[in-house]
Amino acid sequence: MLVPGIDVALNQILIFVPALVVLYFLMDMLFFRKHLKRQLYRNKLINIILVVGLIGVFFFTIKAITMQMFLQIFLLNLVDLCVLVLATTGIVLIFKTSVTTNFAQGMMATFGAFFAANFVLYLTSNSSMGKTPKLFLGMFAGIVCASLLGLFVDVVIIRRGKHVSSVGKQMITMGLVLVLMGLIPVIFGTIAPSLEAFSVDVKLFQIGDMMLVIPYHNLYALVITVVVLAILFGALRFTKWGLGVRATASSEIVAGMMGVNTRVITAMSWAIAGGLGSIAAFLYASAGAQVQVASMIPVQVNAFMAAVLGSFSSFGGPIVGALLINLFSSVAPFYNDVWQSVIVYGVILLLVLAKPLGLFGKKTAKKV
Amino acid sequence: MRKLTNFMKQQSKQFASVVKHPYFGFILFGLILLFTLYLRSMGLVTISIINAIVMTMIYSIIALGFSLLLGYGGMASLGTAGFVGLGSFIMGYFSGVLHYPLIYTLGISFGVAIVVGLIVGFISLRIEGMYLAIITLGLGEILRAFFISYDKFTGGYSGRQFRNFTLFGNAVSAQAVYIIITVLFVLAMIATLNIIKSPTGRALLAMKNSDSAAQSMGISLLKYRLLAFVISTVFAILAGMLYIMYIKFSYAPDWNLSFSLNILAAVIVGGAQSIAGIILGVFTIFGLNLAILNYIPFFQNNSALMVIFNGVLIIVVVMFYPGGLIRLLQTLKYKFVLFIKKLRIKWKVYKYGKDD
Repeated sequence: MLVPGIDVALNQILIFVPALVVLYFLMDMLFFRKHLKRQLYRNKLINIILVVGLIGVFFFTIKAITMQMFLQIFLLNLVDLCVLVLATTGIVLIFKTSVTTNFAQGMMATFGAFFAANFVLYLTSNSSMGKTPKLFLGMFAGIVCASLLGLFVDVVIIRRGKHVSSVGKQMITMGLVLVLMGLIPVIFGTIAPSLEAFSVDVKLFQIGDMMLVIPYHNLYALVITVVVLAILFGALRFTKWGLGVRATASSEIVAGMMGVNTRVITAMSWAIAGGLGSIAAFLYASAGAQVQVASMIPVQVNAFMAAVLGSFSSFGGPIVGALLINLFSSVAPFYNDVWQSVIVYGVILLLVLAKPLGLFGKKTAKKV
Repeated sequence: MRKLTNFMKQQSKQFASVVKHPYFGFILFGLILLFTLYLRSMGLVTISIINAIVMTMIYSIIALGFSLLLGYGGMASLGTAGFVGLGSFIMGYFSGVLHYPLIYTLGISFGVAIVVGLIVGFISLRIEGMYLAIITLGLGEILRAFFISYDKFTGGYSGRQFRNFTLFGNAVSAQAVYIIITVLFVLAMIATLNIIKSPTGRALLAMKNSDSAAQSMGISLLKYRLLAFVISTVFAILAGMLYIMYIKFSYAPDWNLSFSLNILAAVIVGGAQSIAGIILGVFTIFGLNLAILNYIPFFQNNSALMVIFNGVLIIVVVMFYPGGLIRLLQTLKYKFVLFIKKLRIKWKVYKYGKDD
């Protein structure tokens, strides 16, 4: 996928980014050196340089590959973005309430997707429903199934393991991965019946003088994701449950003392995370991939990276992280189609090194 | 007569000093493992048990290095799979394809290990806790993507074969590889013990509990973090080289997240701070299927249950024995000793009558 101007863009980036880094060190050494608030100014400068750098990199890239191509690639990858955002939100929700990175998120999602695919198959053979309601019903069944699974996991395992260290909890979710990995083929068979897309048609539309194409399936995915996230964020902001989640996230013990029922909050978070994962797996599978036992693992790895990039401390940050990862991975193939994943992960690594707490992370004071 | 008893006392003292020596257990364990190879040559032990032992030994070397990070340094790293894969491909390419002498390959691999360890160490200075785990996970993914893309070095999706391994001009048999692995395994255990008992291990332990407190006691965070990561990476790369020597094949997509997680699980399940515990954990995670479960008819018929069994085992051990399996064994031993004492008291009561 080589575009004529891409070499120039690469050269521009290779000059632009190091220039910014040199600028940072010069500013740091010449102006902030003897200042009392050196660390504060440094952080602000890093923020500014990151924003300028990201804008610059995308500006040069878009100039080389043209705006139309960029938007087109973005629209075609939209469903990946939706999947990543949903998966990331589930992981962050569990991190907030249970203080562990849930390695079983992908497997729980796959469990839901397997159930959904089998349910759709059952509907196809036993009723004369239209395609779209059938798929929506299937997706709903998957959500219910994965939510129940999440609830079960929390009530039976995680709740009883409260005294376990956070690495220990990671190990529990890791054991869960193995259990589900063995359980799914026993219950559903190794490969689920393939899911259809919501629609195979594409929509043509025009912005300015650019003709763009978007598959209807991606539109469906976008609408579903936006609706689900809007409901979730509304609930987090305005309901008692949301207040409880935020209280539990800041300190579980204090929240419990203030009368928050942390057990219910945590259990509901696991259920919702399972549901979000299930939607993600459903959208991912119906976009053309088969539902397999291991199909969500790469998505899950990306979701972890997105959560770290945006920082675990907010809900909005990881979504921006997911967006950035999606943009990087849609642009990277233009520069080098063999090393694209190395480039994407490398860029994320450098960004996190520049801001260790994530792009939107806040530093919390720690007692010694 | 008295002379004889004195002589015997002296002898038993010397014997005790040998037996109580910290290395004695490791060397005895190594000799037992070598004896198993002899049993194999007599046909008393099946090949899958030998495979289980070798896999346990190789993965134990990785886990020993890893435990320095986790059990002593308190730093979780999920890039282990990438480092092990790197070791296997270095051996496969430089020794297998280019036919470099072993000493050059070793030099290259240690150089690479030190560089990679330094990089991760510097990252660990800036990022901590769960974030470090996920960032090293990203590093592991970078290495995996590198393995898959750079097929001149790794063989890409067709994997790297490693058949004609020669040492000092002679072809090396599987038995010789087994012996090499056993010797290196014992050496790795001894090295780990020495590091743990040395100032380095104490410094790591201090850092685990509190960075700031350790720094205020004059422990250099930079030095010991880098050292811990370099040692752990050297162990991982060494294990990768042994892996390709025994399996004779290394496949790039295999070095993925689940491998790193399995190593982490082994260290946690066994008990992160004890060498015996780590080996027990590795055997539980990697060797159990090959050595024991394969022979139970119930698991033979339902192979999916084997994976479920492993998962349930991990969950149960972590939930009920946070100190690991080794803690369970220690508790059992303690209870056994108490039981014996009670029996002895009962015997004395029976023999001499009750003490009024």
